[in-house]
Amino acid sequence: MPLDVVVCLKQVPNPDLQFQVAADGKDIRRDALNYKTNGADEYALEEAVRLKEKFGGKVTALTAGPKRAEQMLREAMAKGADAAVRLAFDDPAAVDDYQVANMIAAAIAKRPHDLVLTGVQSDDYGYSATGPLVAGFLKIPHASVVTRVEVSEKGLKVWRELEGGDQEVVSLARPALLTIQFGINQPRYAPLPAIMKASRQPIEEVKPTDLGQSTWDGFRGPYTLAVRKVSPPAAKGHAEMIPGNVADQAKAVAQLLREKGFVRG
Amino acid sequence: MGANVVAVAEHREGKIAGVTYELVAKGRELAAKTGGAVQVALLGKGVSGLAGEVASRGVEVLLAEHDALAAYTAGGYAQALAAMLRSPPKILLAGHTSQGFDLAPRLAAEWTAPIVANCVDLAMEDGTLIASRKILNDKMAVELAVTSERPYIATLRPGSVKPVGPAGAPGKVTPVSVLIDPAKNGRTFHGYERPEVQDIDIAAADVVVSAGRGIQKKENLPVIEGLAKALGGVVGASRPLTDMDWLPKTRQVGQSGKTVRPKLYIACGISGAMQHIAGMKDAGLIIAINTDPSAPIFEVAHYGVVANVLEFVPALVKELKSG
Ligand SMILES: Cc1cc2nc3c(=O)[nH]c(=O)nc-3n(C[C@H](O)[C@H](O)[C@H](O)COP(=O)(O)OP(=O)(O)OC[C@H]3O[C@@H](n4cnc5c(N)ncnc54)[C@H](O)[C@@H]3O)c2cc1C
Ligand SMILES: Nc1ncnc2c1ncn2[C@@H]1O[C@H](COP(=O)(O)O)[C@@H](O)[C@H]1O
Repeated sequence: MPLDVVVCLKQVPNPDLQFQVAADGKDIRRDALNYKTNGADEYALEEAVRLKEKFGGKVTALTAGPKRAEQMLREAMAKGADAAVRLAFDDPAAVDDYQVANMIAAAIAKRPHDLVLTGVQSDDYGYSATGPLVAGFLKIPHASVVTRVEVSEKGLKVWRELEGGDQEVVSLARPALLTIQFGINQPRYAPLPAIMKASRQPIEEVKPTDLGQSTWDGFRGPYTLAVRKVSPPAAKGHAEMIPGNVADQAKAVAQLLREKGFVRG
Repeated sequence: MGANVVAVAEHREGKIAGVTYELVAKGRELAAKTGGAVQVALLGKGVSGLAGEVASRGVEVLLAEHDALAAYTAGGYAQALAAMLRSPPKILLAGHTSQGFDLAPRLAAEWTAPIVANCVDLAMEDGTLIASRKILNDKMAVELAVTSERPYIATLRPGSVKPVGPAGAPGKVTPVSVLIDPAKNGRTFHGYERPEVQDIDIAAADVVVSAGRGIQKKENLPVIEGLAKALGGVVGASRPLTDMDWLPKTRQVGQSGKTVRPKLYIACGISGAMQHIAGMKDAGLIIAINTDPSAPIFEVAHYGVVANVLEFVPALVKELKSG
């Protein structure tokens, strides 16, 4: 039973960096960021490719984002996606997840989809909302925080992670949407020939007019949403920092641990 | 649309999740601004005892019981909430938990209503909802302003507000009957699984030295083990390390792992994501080592060291041994 799998990928700023507030105070400065594929989405992509390898079918990597996101889609094709789609949504901040999910759902509705996968959360915004929103718009069942997938004749059996390491087992009818949790698999690296090949593959570009709206604003919900302020977090507390070079720091921490009674002898 | 704030209770196997009482606390504050009341929607089967427990915190409970609600499913809850809230609330609150972020965005799509997820604070200003969030691994704070004639849907990050305690006068429990079409649910619950692995119990240790992705590779684990040994402690880890099987799952500290309260917690190359912090913030003394001075782990640590763990930890072990 071949599966048409659509996997949603987001390109995010590398979160290991330090960030600055933009001049207007409404976004981070984006001029010197480097971007990467969202962590959880690597797992979603790998799961999609493994399902295709097992059951046959097709994997489509889909993103809503600026031109720079094509790099991510090419990597996805090098790792096994058969096709790539970019919704040409150029808003670099894209804070309105309802709007993003709504356009993604509209694009998915127009193509075969037995299964839609997203990551459990984006590393930049951490809404954990896009997947269930897309499922809600598509009117298909969904399950979040999935750590294992079994495909049956008509449906799916999946394990959802709960708090404290417990899991719950649920089954869903197909088509369905799953948000994939870190650790469900070990994502592969792209082999060099595949990377070369992916650089020549086409990427389908979707415009709002292709989805029946004159602009992407047509996908907003019936409300206004605006960023009032972006700022460094008001630290509730902050560690006392140990100064000096590594030798000084090691001495100071060793002394601290002695004073607090953590060192015997 | 009414003026009320409805908090969706979270419970599993006969126990109310603590986040429910945090939602009540925040809901009460918001209801004072919307001119309504806070109500808890408790959905389940055979849960009137739990309803009494929630009501004892001085809040009205809307109780819906149905076979199809015996365990949480997004579809079952969505149908029940739509049926029981005939006049939609001004604000619907859920925890930013495996249940809450499974449910709330789905409701937003079904109700064509705005959603703000993973908020650390919420306020109402003249009919506008102000949501405070943290982004980019908690390195930046954002305030969003949402104005809507539709219900506001929001998920609140656990541990963000002080929960309400027991009240003098209990709230009333209002049973509501709901019709649920199981065929429309789309998802069936089969059961819970609790992996039992034989390993040390990191929650029982006085000293936990945890390794994060900052240790770079599995071959560097002995560096961390060396420090744990020197302090008579055990080795814990952030989630990526147990995901990669560098350490057994039992060593994972955090929301989806173990909650630890040791006398001493040393975080080595751990950024301090909210899911990690949830599992260690109550340790007696927290020391964090990280190359990034803006890493959020330094917000919860008592002492911070900006250094390469692979240089600092061996130096510290040497100091401890030479003392
Ligand atoms: C539903 C859900 C549940 C989750 N549950 C948990 C959980 O229970 N526990 C958990 O831990 N996570 C959990 N996570 C994952 C969590 O969001 C983070 O991804 C994870 O905690 C990050 O681990 P880390 O800090 O080791 O890695 P990173 O975030 O990659 O941080 C590595 C850090 O090391 C620093 N560093 C790099 N090199 C060095 C060096 N040489 N010396 C010193 N520092 C260095 C970097 O500056 C960085 O701050 C969960 C996520 C989800 C979505
Ligand atoms: N702009 C986007 N394009 C494609 N997928 C996205 C986009 N934004 C979010 N997603 C998907 O939704 C998941 C959850 O994101 P979030 O709701 O922001 O936490 C991500 O892991 C992606 O799989």
